[in-house]
Amino acid sequence: MPRYWGRVVAGVVLAALVAALIGAMLASLFVASARFPGTGTAGGDIFYLARITIVQATLSTLVSIGVGIPVAWALNRVAFPGRSAYVAILSMSLVLPALVVGFGVIAVWGRAGWVNQALATLAGARLPGTIFGLHGIILAHLVLNGALAARVFYNRLATLPPATLKLGRSLALGPIDRFLVLDWPPIRAAIPSLAALIFLFCFTSFAIVLTLGGGPANATFEVAIYEAVRIDFDPGFAALLALIQLAICLLVILPAAAWPLGAALVAEPAPIRHWPDRGGARPLQVGIIVIAAALFGLPTLAALVGGLQPGGISILGSSAFRAAFATSMAIATFSTLLALALAMVLALARANLALVAPTGPWSAFWLRQVIGAPAFAYLATPAVVLALGFFLLARLTGIPPRHLAPFVLVLANALLALPLSAAILGPPLERLTARTARLQRALAISGWRRFTEIELPLLRTDIGYAAAVAFCFSLGDLGVIALFGTGDFATLPWLMYRAMGAYRGSEAATVAAALIVLTILAFVAIPKLVSGVRHAGA
Amino acid sequence: MLALDGVTFRYAAAEAPWRFDLEVAPGEIVGIAGVSGAGKSTLLDLIAGFLIPLAGDITLDGRSLLTEPPEARPVSILFQTDNLFDHLSAARNVALGLAPNKLPRAQRQARVQEALDAVELGNFSNRVVARLSGGQKQRVALARTLLRDKPILLLDEPFTALDPETAAEVREHLSALIAAHRWHTVLVSHDAEDLAAVGARILVVDGGRLTPA
Repeated sequence: MPRYWGRVVAGVVLAALVAALIGAMLASLFVASARFPGTGTAGGDIFYLARITIVQATLSTLVSIGVGIPVAWALNRVAFPGRSAYVAILSMSLVLPALVVGFGVIAVWGRAGWVNQALATLAGARLPGTIFGLHGIILAHLVLNGALAARVFYNRLATLPPATLKLGRSLALGPIDRFLVLDWPPIRAAIPSLAALIFLFCFTSFAIVLTLGGGPANATFEVAIYEAVRIDFDPGFAALLALIQLAICLLVILPAAAWPLGAALVAEPAPIRHWPDRGGARPLQVGIIVIAAALFGLPTLAALVGGLQPGGISILGSSAFRAAFATSMAIATFSTLLALALAMVLALARANLALVAPTGPWSAFWLRQVIGAPAFAYLATPAVVLALGFFLLARLTGIPPRHLAPFVLVLANALLALPLSAAILGPPLERLTARTARLQRALAISGWRRFTEIELPLLRTDIGYAAAVAFCFSLGDLGVIALFGTGDFATLPWLMYRAMGAYRGSEAATVAAALIVLTILAFVAIPKLVSGVRHAGA
Repeated sequence: MLALDGVTFRYAAAEAPWRFDLEVAPGEIVGIAGVSGAGKSTLLDLIAGFLIPLAGDITLDGRSLLTEPPEARPVSILFQTDNLFDHLSAARNVALGLAPNKLPRAQRQARVQEALDAVELGNFSNRVVARLSGGQKQRVALARTLLRDKPILLLDEPFTALDPETAAEVREHLSALIAAHRWHTVLVSHDAEDLAAVGARILVVDGGRLTPA
């Protein structure tokens, strides 16, 4: 199929460039770890770090999956006004800045938080201990990833085939049989990939551990790397930690490389055919929905309300805020465009190879894996590691890091969004290509015309989702800016983090509220904007 | 008696509504023929409760079924395909026809085995249905229908996916069960031979109405 090879070659070239970039970063880590040897206590530290990070990530994953399943089950059964908005808010968990969520968890569950205030007023009591520590980290991870899990499982249940639902309903399946027979198979199928994804999110957690960890006892590799570079100035130890983290992440991501979740993470599911459970299941489902709304929604609400305090509002008029806002917007815009372009080239190449891979030579099959691999390798490359690679590369080549900062932020954020962008665009593009390839060949539609007249219009919804996710990822990033941020070069999360560090809580709250509003606007507006282009062009 | 009295339904994009009038006696098989899109499956969905009529009534022995949701109607359905859950065993699929927790475990197993024996699949109870042939799958679904023993049986092209020999075998089982249990049966098929082979009274959906063939 010679006509497909132009796109395949472009994909291969891009994959090679991305692979070379990864290689350069890994090389810089190796060189740095050799040039700046780590401290004498590093061995013990590393073992402890690995143990506590794995324990934390495992517990966070189990709790998130364990909460996500009943929430999805309850949402699937109970129809109520605003259910679509509820589900949309669950989707936001994928893109809400982790720093803001950590801040919101403190505002709700902290010593002076809403829960303690309510308890003190109603019962004259307080929660024991503080929110800081392993339990606080797991709670914040649950707020983010429990909602994500509920969203993915809900999507799976919403897309059950109508014939299966019809059959189940005609058999009058009770709540338990219905769950076991109809719901459990699609939920179970989603668990391995989702668990791997959540484990990676929690294992590489940075902002939440930084805000809620309560000290070195609960640090993750990410935080330890950050502290090694910014506080101890020990790039060798940081590089060693980064390499170990990369190896562990790769071990997790490789078995889940098929990544079947794709757009299920964010896409709007088909309307559910309403079939309520009867008997005792119903009050239980309503209870789950109410508790989940409080668990997932209150931290964001608390952060928003906290941002309206008069003491913090003044920061909105400051030059520091305006500069950080402009920097965040510019970096998010450029990194989104770059991520989409990279994801589209890779997805187009893989889609074309998908036509020959199932029946063609083994070389086509392997080529398809090779094209996809670099994009997915970034799943295992956390933000701080990525930033550290660039940081060390700059130092080793003698370039002052501040000169590279804007470019590194755009490139690193684009690469961080690339796996998800490729996962959102890839499956629909492959389906479209497989379905219409013969017709396109018969009509001699190829190249740019094929892209603009067939692929682009039909993929606008998916492109919109991918763009929204990439934009919000970049907007909320703290991991990359943490190594490159200064007083003069700041994004909104960095500005917020510095305000928190300087105990200017009300200013941090206002920046957090601004980040929430911007994230919601971007997540809602960007897909509509992209779809609107389609309507305008139709 | 199963009766449809002026049951009217219209899809949003349809030009004109359907209006169905029909009576089915206990043990009788009414065969519904018609071209694709004529409304054969819509008729079954109305009786089963998956669609709600705009007007008219559906009664069984004088009692209206319209207020009951699909899961509460006294109806068993056999589709062309997808009658079973492929990841479950034959016995588990059949057991889904029993109301949950109403019987002790041993009695449940005995009744499931009895139903599978009745369709000559007693030795296949533990086999995952994905590994059964098309005819065997339909017989497992029949066993479940037998176990449910609901007074109304709706059949939506149940023989279409089967080869002629297997279809004849399933038809034979089905006719015997309907006669023995006196189910009110509505059989939809585009194949006149199928309808004739089970001794059905044949009606045709034409112009949105049921008319004798």
